[in-house]
Amino acid sequence: MRLISRKNLLLFFLPGALFMGAFLIYPIITMVIDSFFEIGITGDKTFIGLDNYIHAFAAGGFLKQLKNTLIYIVVAVGVETAVGLLFALFFELNYKGSKIIRSLMMAPLMIAPLVAGLTWKLMMSSSFGIVNELLARIGILSSSSDILWLADEKWSLLACCIADIWLTTPFMMLMILAGLQGLDSSMLEAARIDGASLLQQVFSIKLPVIKPILLTALSVRIIDAARTFDIIWAMTEGGPNSSSETISIIIYKTLTRYNDIGYASAMAVIFIAVLVVFTLVFMQSLWNPKKKNS
Amino acid sequence: MKKKGETGKRLGICISVILTVFWLFPYIYVICCSFKPGSEVVAVPPSFFPKVFSVENFTGLLERMDALKFLINSLSVSLISTIIALILGSLAAYAIQRSGAKLSVALVVLVLCLKMIPTSSIAVPIYELICSLGLYDTKIALIIVYAAINMPFVMWTMLSFYEGIPTSLDEAAFMDGASSLQTFRKVILPICTPGLATAFIFTLFLAWNDFLIALLLTSTNAKTFTVGLAGFLSAYNLDLGPMCAGAFLFSFPVMIISLAAQKYIVQGMTAGAVKG
Repeated sequence: MRLISRKNLLLFFLPGALFMGAFLIYPIITMVIDSFFEIGITGDKTFIGLDNYIHAFAAGGFLKQLKNTLIYIVVAVGVETAVGLLFALFFELNYKGSKIIRSLMMAPLMIAPLVAGLTWKLMMSSSFGIVNELLARIGILSSSSDILWLADEKWSLLACCIADIWLTTPFMMLMILAGLQGLDSSMLEAARIDGASLLQQVFSIKLPVIKPILLTALSVRIIDAARTFDIIWAMTEGGPNSSSETISIIIYKTLTRYNDIGYASAMAVIFIAVLVVFTLVFMQSLWNPKKKNS
Repeated sequence: MKKKGETGKRLGICISVILTVFWLFPYIYVICCSFKPGSEVVAVPPSFFPKVFSVENFTGLLERMDALKFLINSLSVSLISTIIALILGSLAAYAIQRSGAKLSVALVVLVLCLKMIPTSSIAVPIYELICSLGLYDTKIALIIVYAAINMPFVMWTMLSFYEGIPTSLDEAAFMDGASSLQTFRKVILPICTPGLATAFIFTLFLAWNDFLIALLLTSTNAKTFTVGLAGFLSAYNLDLGPMCAGAFLFSFPVMIISLAAQKYIVQGMTAGAVKG
């Protein structure tokens, strides 16, 4: 039986579809077309086939930025997951006031990435930054200007990762806590009676329970980390010497500073294709086992 | 055995409190800095608490940028775009979910893919489109672009909520002679209030926090607060005090709202994952 007539269905669907068509799908199509052209500053287009794509993968292309993006994803998401898991084990405890503590912990969750970037830029400044001052006081650094977080090519990307980790570890913790709610407490009790150590309890009982939710959280985070723009832009603008430049940043710079729309579009097409394939593969492997069960 | 658990638990509580303070440190530091005199923010060596309490940075902020206007721009643009995205997105998602057509699976996948698109990569076609429509540096431009970009998110959230509502409910309303729109408005939406609330808060924050689109599409009139804040990036160090004050002003309401509406935020972040 049809719940809604075909006409009404279309009426419901069209307004939203038109919006997305005009401001999401149309731009994507334009971008794909542009990627096969060389576009001058005046807007004149010359068809150059796959040259933009070849350029992207050649030396001086975006391989460095690709590497930076991968490092950023691995470091930021890796640390977030590990720390988030550790935090979740502590914040899982229920006691008087535990809700307030949990809420406070999640307070930075919704802060603008730009603000997070600015905050860490301030804290990591070489002369008046509080991070180096604290490190020097603890004795890790001999002087507060030992590490130039944002001006040293070795550290700039890591500095951006740290801001990202600060901003999104609460998200990881939140997801893991939600997963742990599905834990059957009698199972844990049984394991305890059988003399399972704390580590064994975590790795053999808790981890398998939260695995599906952890995988989803990972996929969300990997894609978000790949897209990061605001944090890096606020902290280093990709510098120094493009040491913290990721794909998002190079695409934006190619567009606004070098005005090379064709080349930027080619990079964006590759970028989007990779993200979409990743999402679909990931979602498929997540969904299929469940569909078989039900 | 219980005794051993008690000390372990106490230790756990202590650690979680310490971790929370540690994690909130950067934010508290920004708050402290915004109440320092401007020169103390960039003093060497830095101190954590303000030595002198001062609102100099806030007056400095107002001098350097039209903070109030930017805040109002941010607020109006994010509110209106959220409402549009919410209305059109929830309608479209309902149509997709209830159509039962084979095409609907493809549409769901399309929505998911659209949700993944990095804004930086489609920024320029959007910029060109807005310019050719003559909407550059207008609030309308920001409103329609935010509404479009955030709509996939609304749809994704609502899709998982609609799935949980049995179609027999729609059928019953239909039997009673309700039109499709009535069924949607009077039967389905009231059940979905938590979903709508979740989508509302997330979309609002996404638009409020956005930086890239506003950076590209505005210059003076429709400039939002994030773009104004980023203006301090190119300025000299002495301006960091007002920057802190701005960052504090901008994110304090977000913190308060997210503490008050935490239930919906947690739901929004985990709903897709649990059901997915």
